[in-house]
Amino acid sequence: MLKKISLTVNGKLCSGEVESRTLLAHFLRDGLRLTGTHLGCVVGRCGACTVLWNGAPVKSCMVFAVQAAGDDIVTVEGLAQDKRLHPLQEAFWKNDAVECGYCTPGMLMSAYGLLDKRIKPTEKDIERAISGNLCRCTGYGNIVAAIKEAALNFTK
Amino acid sequence: MIMEFPITPPIGDRVKRKETLRFVTGTGHYVDDLLPPGTLHAAFVRSSCAHARIKGVAVEAARAMPGVHAVFTGEDIAHQVKPLRVGGSSLLRQIKLYPLAVDKVRYYGEPLAVVVADNRYLAEDAVEAVSVDYSPLPVVIDPEAAMEPGAPIVHEDVGSNIVYKYHFATDGIDKVFQDADVVVRERIRSHRIAACPIEPRAYLAHYNKEEDSLTMWSATANPHSLRGRIGDILDFPEGKIRVIAPDVGGSFGVKIQTYQEELLLPYLSRELGRPIKWCETRVEHMRNGRHGRDQIHTIEMALKKDGTMLGIKDKIIADMGSTYTVDHSIMAAALYMTGVYQIQNYAVDAFGISTNKTTHGSLRGIGKADASYVLERLVDIAARELKLDPIDIRMKNFIPPEAFPYRNATGALYDSGQYQLALKRTAAMAGYEQRRKEQAELRKRGIYRGIGVALVMEPTSSSRIHATGGYASCRLRIDPSGAVTVFSSMGEQGQGHETTIAQIVASQTGIPFDKITVIHGDTLPTPYGFGTGSSRSSVVLMPSAWVAGKLMRDKILGIAARQLGVAPEKLEIGDGKVFVRENHQQSIAVMEIVRTAYGAIHLLPENMEPGLEVTGYFVNPNIDYAPDAKGRMNTFSSYPYAAVIAVVDVDVETGMIKIVKYATVHDCGNMINPQIVDTQQQGSIMQGIGAALYEELRYDEDGQLLTSTFMDYRLPSVEEVPELALEHIVTPNPFTPLGAKGAGETGMLGPPPALCNAVEDALSPLGVKIRETPLTPDRILNLIEQAQATSHHA
Repeated sequence: MLKKISLTVNGKLCSGEVESRTLLAHFLRDGLRLTGTHLGCVVGRCGACTVLWNGAPVKSCMVFAVQAAGDDIVTVEGLAQDKRLHPLQEAFWKNDAVECGYCTPGMLMSAYGLLDKRIKPTEKDIERAISGNLCRCTGYGNIVAAIKEAALNFTK
Repeated sequence: MIMEFPITPPIGDRVKRKETLRFVTGTGHYVDDLLPPGTLHAAFVRSSCAHARIKGVAVEAARAMPGVHAVFTGEDIAHQVKPLRVGGSSLLRQIKLYPLAVDKVRYYGEPLAVVVADNRYLAEDAVEAVSVDYSPLPVVIDPEAAMEPGAPIVHEDVGSNIVYKYHFATDGIDKVFQDADVVVRERIRSHRIAACPIEPRAYLAHYNKEEDSLTMWSATANPHSLRGRIGDILDFPEGKIRVIAPDVGGSFGVKIQTYQEELLLPYLSRELGRPIKWCETRVEHMRNGRHGRDQIHTIEMALKKDGTMLGIKDKIIADMGSTYTVDHSIMAAALYMTGVYQIQNYAVDAFGISTNKTTHGSLRGIGKADASYVLERLVDIAARELKLDPIDIRMKNFIPPEAFPYRNATGALYDSGQYQLALKRTAAMAGYEQRRKEQAELRKRGIYRGIGVALVMEPTSSSRIHATGGYASCRLRIDPSGAVTVFSSMGEQGQGHETTIAQIVASQTGIPFDKITVIHGDTLPTPYGFGTGSSRSSVVLMPSAWVAGKLMRDKILGIAARQLGVAPEKLEIGDGKVFVRENHQQSIAVMEIVRTAYGAIHLLPENMEPGLEVTGYFVNPNIDYAPDAKGRMNTFSSYPYAAVIAVVDVDVETGMIKIVKYATVHDCGNMINPQIVDTQQQGSIMQGIGAALYEELRYDEDGQLLTSTFMDYRLPSVEEVPELALEHIVTPNPFTPLGAKGAGETGMLGPPPALCNAVEDALSPLGVKIRETPLTPDRILNLIEQAQATSHHA
């Protein structure tokens, strides 16, 4: 049976019809066609599908779309404002923190969840924040460097 | 051989990658992001047995379910398609591979039926409703048992599980062993692992009935070869097939081969007249993506007392899983067991064995990783036996720089190298001497610190007839608007070709880097070429871009020379102009040349064709396509390497290993973009650390895969990153115009031998010997326990 849900995604009110079992990740990708949120395992281990749910990073393959009804979601498409890259996106580019790009949206959203707390993060904080996000290409070093750099000039 | 390397910026610059912008904004397009109107979704019924006859597949209940459009079994399609061609040896050619298992299943998870439905959820529901009646057969999982007479046979058509054999021996090998002071022998196994790109495999086939044509979007690293294979099995004209590899989320070898599901989707789309999509789950990737490594080497080395290496004899048993289709992994090991050492006496017997495991295939460092792991372990074992320092024994036997190009015993032609320098510098970076002194102190305090040395070498740019080619190509066009486009024969899965190709073309033509667009992965506009593997891009593809750039430069200068009335040799390109080197005022705008080439062809030099479009090919110049009378040949074009020193602490209470420092010096020749090389090396090293310490595909005796999720198959996360010191030395490859060697795999080759050597060194006071990997805490604790039991008995 289909249920109608409405939620705010990247600042815009969106609605759609979903099954109870429809994952938030599938609703974002197939329902709203926001395909920046990627799927790498669908069991909550790789982190490629990470989005912000009411301000906190969550693996959107572990949430049913109906659970997020009425809530606030931010995806990677919501990071850049007025066509200007977010400092995290700039830093990922500059520090070569990306190869194939598949894990990148999840990495960015986990990092965004950390920096959005407005606390100056330590290297350990950064590692903890992205410890649930797997990257097979870069070996993580440049990703940590990028997040560190973005933390220095992060403004909301 | 001495070649000139006319390398000018932006070649060699750490240019920011073009492709990164779309990846950080979430606007890349991977196969799963595509959803043409009317798309249906496939899901597979997979074998729950490792080896069984299929007595029946009941699909009626599934066909009747809501949203289900079709269900096909292996039997339904066996007469509708041709089997996938299998090559490599006369034995392998007898194997037939169908998109869905027919009559019997040979490994756990093999696809045997497919459901097509309105969406993935409904397709998966219907898969649950299919019931399969199996008649189980005896299972063979251990490759050595599979070689025994009377073992269950995986492929009855072949009649034996030995599906591949290779023998090579130099004259007088036995005499060397008779005359040796010492012979060290060991049995060493490289364990089975999975590539695990974060994007699993994904395919979308769209048959267009009106045009009788097929478009296939595939997360493949090998679009042109895939196109031919789809044409073969469907008996469909290749000219009517277009394969597009859009953004591909990593490959590491696993996406270069063609898969059962990949060949089935085009058939389904043609039958049903709708686009059909299938995206692999992670569990399916573990069960069905090609596996890597898993070779058992029984190897011996003859030495003099002073550590001089005299000869190597090896027997390789390679577990190929159920339906092996190529022989690369065996050959890439068998030809290189003498590694970086001056050993001209060598013998090998290699066997490829079928078992009831998932099919084996390419995985970053295929065969080469097994070879370097086994050899670098054996060298350490020899050093311990002879009471030599592991650095000293290597230094004594390295091929010296002046011996290049160097032919090894099997005929492989190594391009260049400075092994002594690389290891010396690594030792300095790691503080080797000091750490040896500290080690003794730490041992007194009960801290088990070990230092492991390795020098790993990676044959790159495999060039074999009908398999991997020995060439690549780039077509370069400046269109009438002045837009510059390069069409590359190879796709990318994270390597940054859009950037490096543009750097090369910019360097050659003077056209600004920002104005150059690179198109890849689409068989319609791009020229033919083999897949992105064997670290081939920088060895053949980038030189083909260099050749295309040179052809374009010559054409532009030729047109300008006629218009300016000076010889082409006196001209330069820059700032959008062609100008006389000695008089910059005498110039013509590049756009004026473009207009001439397309619209004012009466002004072109005599016999010059109109337009500005050229194709550059580059052929590896140093490849043998047939062996000599003694069976020797060179099938790889360049030989990058890395020296590694790993320092570890082993906690003997918990079995945990901490990497205190990982120092490495890497040589891939000239670097087109050193930033890209650095990042790739870091990732490659982490993948190697995963293989050495955490990752293993394990089967039970019934052939069930026990490690099919990221819970039980553990990839390294950011928390496992060690203190890493990475430097490069540059010994150019004399066989390409750019002087570059491959750069993708060497990093991954280092950790398995270096970490095993380090851990064995750390635990040497306890007498621990490591012969099995990965070095998980439970394995370490078992080894310590065994060693203690042995010493108590002694």
